Amino acid sequence: MEVSLPISARSSRPRKEAEGHRLENSRPVTAGVTATSICLPLMFILTGLVALCAGVAWLIFEPSVLATYHYNQHIIAATHLFVLGWICSIVMGAMYQLVPVALETKLYSNKLAHWQFAFHIVGFIGMVWMFRVWNMKQVGHFGCVLGVGVGLFVYNIARTLRRVPKWNVTASAVTAALGWISVAIVAGLLIATAKCTYETESDTSLPAAVNSLIHGLRAVGIVVSRYNPISAMHAHAHLGALGFFTLLIVGVSYKLIPMFTLSEVQSRRRAAFSIALLNVGLAGAFVTILAGSPWKLAFALMVVAGLIVYAIEIVAILRARKRRSLDWGIKYFLTALALLLPLSVLAIVLSWPALPFNLFTGQLENLYGFLGLIGVISFAIVGMLYKIIPFLVWFGRYSQHIGRAKVPALADLYSPQLQAAGYWSWVAGLIVVCTAIVLTSEIGVRIGCILLAVSLGTLMFNVGTMFSHFIRPKLEELSFAPNFSPIPAPTAP
Amino acid sequence: MNGTKLSEATILDALRQVIDPELGCNIVDLGLIYTVSITDAKVTVAMTLTTQGCPMHESIRIGAVNVLLNLPDVDDAEVELVWDPPWHPSMMTEIGRAATGVGDF
Repeated sequence: MEVSLPISARSSRPRKEAEGHRLENSRPVTAGVTATSICLPLMFILTGLVALCAGVAWLIFEPSVLATYHYNQHIIAATHLFVLGWICSIVMGAMYQLVPVALETKLYSNKLAHWQFAFHIVGFIGMVWMFRVWNMKQVGHFGCVLGVGVGLFVYNIARTLRRVPKWNVTASAVTAALGWISVAIVAGLLIATAKCTYETESDTSLPAAVNSLIHGLRAVGIVVSRYNPISAMHAHAHLGALGFFTLLIVGVSYKLIPMFTLSEVQSRRRAAFSIALLNVGLAGAFVTILAGSPWKLAFALMVVAGLIVYAIEIVAILRARKRRSLDWGIKYFLTALALLLPLSVLAIVLSWPALPFNLFTGQLENLYGFLGLIGVISFAIVGMLYKIIPFLVWFGRYSQHIGRAKVPALADLYSPQLQAAGYWSWVAGLIVVCTAIVLTSEIGVRIGCILLAVSLGTLMFNVGTMFSHFIRPKLEELSFAPNFSPIPAPTAP
Repeated sequence: MNGTKLSEATILDALRQVIDPELGCNIVDLGLIYTVSITDAKVTVAMTLTTQGCPMHESIRIGAVNVLLNLPDVDDAEVELVWDPPWHPSMMTEIGRAATGVGDF
């Protein structure tokens, strides 16, 4: 007997016979042999979540770091905790998982990624600690440890990108982001070098190579010291926040938003144009911010133009979506993208050549940094975590059971009610903290951060619920096994 | 063996046990199953996925193989992933559309 037929309710017949690979005749079969180990991204993600909890707790107990001007050791330490401990950990862990998925290839090396994790942990914890006590020489040393890790990360992802079968706008964005994170690390190390003090005379007890290195660092430090240290810090911050995080969010969303909403990129040219504008704008912004040039406004406008083109494409993708309802994870992400609008307005205001520097504009700079890191980047990340963590848990716990037992869907692994509560408390926290920053109100910052902590609590509870599936999986027997009897086909309602 | 005859309906009922975990709907009502071929005790299925590069693709494909191999009258099962024609939401059943919140066309 041979039957060949189209199946779906209104499906069209395949135009040609499939040419897929064939399975061996064995039962049962297990999946996942080609996937990136879930342990690796989970290690980074758990590290990031711990750092986020620590960072929010820090702001609750020391709200002055946001209510006063940002050029002091406390806020620099706290910022690096958020940026390196929370955002970088999550982004790097997610990239090890998502880049191979989004670009349909395999990670070059799991082993290198595990080594990077070790360097990353030692590097960022040491840096935050040393920033806190303002020991810039040790900041430089721990920064080098972190930099080795970033080097391994960049090499690993770059080698992975070489395997990409079809180059696309997401691959271009990821490649550019790798370049920017490399430059950001070098810029950070140069700034640390400029802030160190060096002995003027060579120490004869040290090897000649070490003395040469110290002389070289001192020379570099002298060159970097010619630049305004606050301008250098701002330029460095933009390399990381815009060049690495924002560019990745933009590039990866061209793959993930259509995937989750059942849509397609509507204009590949427009998508590529947005990436190009962001890259050129950032390059110019870095130079002009560093030099304190009034031309930074032009490049800020170019970056904003790139974000506008991006927003137009995202709106087009959403309008073409087939899945009308948006889940909360996507709502988190899209809300974060909407916050790019006030952030862009702030960027233009702060780039204005004649802008006076006073208490108010100083606080606007704090607001800009907070809104960018916690409003846009962190909120987007939390939204994506509600996609990534359920996938990792499901993949690790249930993928080998699919077809052999009834397994839950991803949305069944956590509470959407808590997820919604977390969304609203995060939004409320953002509004309160942003207002408090402008008003230099420490109590306002504390209250807002408590609201953020409530949101974080819902996230952590949901993460715990997801992880509980590793201990207590929810598996049910299939309806027909082992004594099979045909199930009546469901009828349309 | 319980003497159940293999048929298209039997195969589809079995494949309804396999869900796309992201969409929370079974692969039949999602319209992912393109063809079923039955030759004696061997079943060959051509199916697609909603997105090329879907991270679940290997799990779902092998899940379909496993569920077919669980059928008493099946000795051999092949599930092939195809991308032509590309999946479109219009291929979903009413049940699939209701389960995933996909609108009309």
